[in-house]
Amino acid sequence: MDNETKAPGHFGRLYQGLTTIDFVGRKKTWFTISIIIIVLGMGSLAIRGFNLGIDFKGGSSWEVLAPNTSITTMTHAVEQAGLVQPTVEKLGSGTYEVTADLNALSAGKQLSVTTKVVDAMAKVAHKNGDQVSTSSVGPTWGGQITNRAIEALIVFFIAVVSYISVRFEPKMAGAAFAAMVHDLLVTVGVFSLMGFQITPDTVIAILTILGYSLYDTVVVFDRVRDNTGGVLKAGDMTYSDMVNLSMNQTLARSINTSLVAILPVLSVLIVGAYILGATTLQNYGLALCVGLFSGAYSSIFIASPLLAIMKEREPRFRDLAARVGQRADRAALSPAAAARMSGEGAQRTVGSTRSATATMVKPRARKQKRR
Amino acid sequence: MIVSLVLVLVISFGSLITTLSLGWGPKLGLDLAGGLSVVYKPATHATNADMQEVVAVLTNRVNGLGVSGAQVNLQGKNVVVSVPGVTNARQILGQIGQTAQLLFRPVLCQVTEDAKVYSIGKQKLPSSCASQYAMTAANLNVVQAPQTTAGWTSTNLPSDPAFAKVASTAPANDDKNAVVILPQLGQPGVRYLLGPAQMTGQSVSKAVAQQDQVGAWVVNYNLTSSGSPLWDAVAKKNFHQLVAIELDGVVQSAPMIQPTDASPTSFGGSGQISGSFTEASAKNLALAMEFGALPVRLEPLTTETISPTLGHSALVAGLAAGLVGLALVLLYTILYYRALGLVIVLGLSATAALLWAIISALGHTAFAPSFDLAGVTGLIVSIGITVDSYIVYFERLKDEARAGRSIRSSVDRGFRSAWRTVLAADTVSLLAAVLLYLIAVGDVRGFAFFLGLSTIMDVAITWYFTRPLVILLGRRGSQSDSMLSMAAGLTSGGSPNG
Repeated sequence: MDNETKAPGHFGRLYQGLTTIDFVGRKKTWFTISIIIIVLGMGSLAIRGFNLGIDFKGGSSWEVLAPNTSITTMTHAVEQAGLVQPTVEKLGSGTYEVTADLNALSAGKQLSVTTKVVDAMAKVAHKNGDQVSTSSVGPTWGGQITNRAIEALIVFFIAVVSYISVRFEPKMAGAAFAAMVHDLLVTVGVFSLMGFQITPDTVIAILTILGYSLYDTVVVFDRVRDNTGGVLKAGDMTYSDMVNLSMNQTLARSINTSLVAILPVLSVLIVGAYILGATTLQNYGLALCVGLFSGAYSSIFIASPLLAIMKEREPRFRDLAARVGQRADRAALSPAAAARMSGEGAQRTVGSTRSATATMVKPRARKQKRR
Repeated sequence: MIVSLVLVLVISFGSLITTLSLGWGPKLGLDLAGGLSVVYKPATHATNADMQEVVAVLTNRVNGLGVSGAQVNLQGKNVVVSVPGVTNARQILGQIGQTAQLLFRPVLCQVTEDAKVYSIGKQKLPSSCASQYAMTAANLNVVQAPQTTAGWTSTNLPSDPAFAKVASTAPANDDKNAVVILPQLGQPGVRYLLGPAQMTGQSVSKAVAQQDQVGAWVVNYNLTSSGSPLWDAVAKKNFHQLVAIELDGVVQSAPMIQPTDASPTSFGGSGQISGSFTEASAKNLALAMEFGALPVRLEPLTTETISPTLGHSALVAGLAAGLVGLALVLLYTILYYRALGLVIVLGLSATAALLWAIISALGHTAFAPSFDLAGVTGLIVSIGITVDSYIVYFERLKDEARAGRSIRSSVDRGFRSAWRTVLAADTVSLLAAVLLYLIAVGDVRGFAFFLGLSTIMDVAITWYFTRPLVILLGRRGSQSDSMLSMAAGLTSGGSPNG
C-alpha cells in the first residue's frame, strides 16, 4: 500500500503491539471512573431499587402477535376484561405484552380473569385464544431463582479463585476476583440506573458475564505470567513496567476479542430483540452487552493494575523497582526484544506448568498419542 | 497433519449431512415450538421418595391427556412439567394444573359467600352447622323418586348464614384433618363446610367418563382392593348424605351416597357419579379421581403457555440474530487477519457443522435439554469464545514474527503458548457452564449445556483443526508471496483500509 509510512498510525501500532499506554501508572484514572459508575449505580439501587420483572414480584403476563392494533386499543380491551392498571407494551414487530398482578385474587378468580384477558386479546388480534401466550408466576418463584443464582455465584467464585490460585498464583486470583466483583457491581448498578427489567434471564446472563470477564482476565494474566519468566529476568523493568508491556502486547487481542464477543450480542439485541421482538433475547442481550463491556474494561483497567499494586509490595519486586529506579537510562524495552524474551520465558514456563498441573494436561496428551 | 485436517472435515460435514439426510433436527424447547410449562413446588415438607411419586403420578396424568413429547422432571424439590408443541395449551394446563391430593370429605352444610368476607387463618372452624342446615339424611328428606325417574331425590337445604362472612380456607391451611370451607368447581358462590377427610384418592384405582343409556355424562370409578371396604365404611357413615370430592382446595363434585337397591350395604369396589356433567367436566373429574392421588400438595411457582406462532417468530429471531452476528464476526476477522481470517471461517464452519449434528443427534435422546431460546443465546455467546481462541493464537503468531522468527518456527512456538492460554481460558468457561448446569433451574440449564458443549468443541477444533491447518499454511507461506499467504495476514502492518 502506498501510504504506508515508517511510523505507523494508532491502528498500526495497535496492530503490531507497539502501543505504549501506561495502564498501571494511570490506575487512579481507571479506578476513579469505575468508582464513579459503581457509586452512581449503588446510589440508584438504594434509592430506586430494581425494576423487577413478574418472575420476581409475582404476577401474570400475556403476549400476542397483533400487527394491526394499537396500545390504546389493547389497553382498553384488557381493562374491559377485568385487569386493573395493566402495563401494555409493544415489543418488536407487533407483539403486544400485557402485564398485571393477579396474586391478590383467589386461584379460581385468577383463572377466570386470565381466560377473559386471553379472549379479549385474541379478539383484538383477530386470532383464536391459543395464539395468546400466557405466563403467571407465584410470589415465591423469583426468590427461589435468586437463591439458586447466589448459590451458583458463591460456588463459582470459590471454584475459579482456587483454579487460578493453582494454575497461576493467589495474587492473580485475588485481582481477577476483584475484577469480577467490579463487573457484578457495574452491571447491577447500570441495570438499576437505566431501569432495565430484572428477569431470571438477567440473573443468568450476569453469571455468564462473570465467567466471561474471568475468561478475559485469564488470557491477559497468562501473558503477564509469560513475561514474569522472561522480561523480568533481564532486570531492567519493574513489575509494573512488565504488566504495562504485557497489556500493550495483548491490547490488540483484547480489543479484537471484545469486539468479536460483543458483535454477536449486539446482533442478538438489535436483530433479535428490537427488530424481531423476542423478549427473552432482549433480556439476555441487555445484560450481556453491559457485562461484556464491563468485563473487557475490568480485565485491562482493573485486574492488571491491581495485580501490579499487590505484586509491587513483595520484597523482591520492591527491590527490583528500587534498582530499576536508580538507573538513569530507564528506557522502555523495545517490544520486539520483549517479544523475543517473553517467547523464551514462555517455553520455560511451559515446562514447569506441565508438572504443576499434570492432572489437567495429561488426558489430552494421551488422546494425542492415540491419534 | 493432513490426516487430522481431513478427518475433522469428514467427521464434521459427514455427520451434518447424515443428520440432515435422516431428517433429524434439534428437539425444540417450549419457547421455540410453543407449548406449556409449569413448575410446581411441594407446599409442605416432602421427602425425595414423595417427589418421585409425584413425578410418576404427574407423568401418568400428562400421558392420560394424550399429548406426546411431554416431560415431567424433578429439579431439586421442584417438579417441572413441560408439554411442547401443543396448540390447546390452556385446556391442558387446566387439567394437569389440578394437582393436589384428592380427598373425600363429608359435607356438613352449604354456606354462601357474602360480599365481605374475612379470613380466619389457621383458626379452627366449628365442626358443625346449625341443626336446621346440617346435611343429615333426615334434613335432606331423601325419598325414592317415582318409578318414572330413576334414582333418589332430595330437598335442597338452605345455606347456613353463620358462615357467610368467613372466607374460604386458603390452600396453605387446607389440612386434611381439619374442618374447612371450600368452593364448588364451576358454580360461583356455592361453598361447603366440610368435615375432616375420610378417604384419599389413593383408594381409587380407575375412573372413566362415560355416557349412560340416555346420553348423560357420568363418571364410573373402581376402587383398589384396600379402598373398597374403606369406601363402604365412608358410605355407611354418610348414608344418603353428600360426600365432597376435593382436589386442590376446590370441591370437584359433591354427590349423594346412594347405594343401589341390589346392594344396599356395599358398593362392591365400583360406583358411578352422575349429575349435571358436561363431557369436559366429567372427563376432568375422572382424570382428577384417577390421577389426583399425590403424596403432597403442589403449588404452581410459575405457569407459562407459549403460542406456536410466537414460538416460531422467536426461533426466526434467534437464528437471524445468530447468523447476522456470525457474519459480522467473520467479516471483521477476514478484514483484520486476511488469509488467517479464512482459517477462522473454515474452522467455524467445521465447528458449526459438528455442533448442529451433535445437537440434532442429542435431540433424539432423552439425555440433552431441549434446544430453547436460552440455548440459542448460549451458542451465540460461544461464537465469541470460539473465535477468541483463533485471535489468541494469531496474536501470538504476530509476536513471534515480530521477534524476527521465520513463519515456520513462529507457527509452532506461537501455538504452544496460545494452546496454554486457550486451555486455561476454556477451563474457566467450562467451569462456569458446568456449575450453572448443576446448580441453576429452568432455562438456564439449556444455556449452560450448549455453552459448555461449544467450549469443548472449541478445544477439540483448536487442536485437531486449527493447529494442523496453520502449520500447513505456514509451510506454504514461507515459499509464496501471494495475498493468500500467511505473511499477508501477519506483517502487512497498516490498517486494512490503508
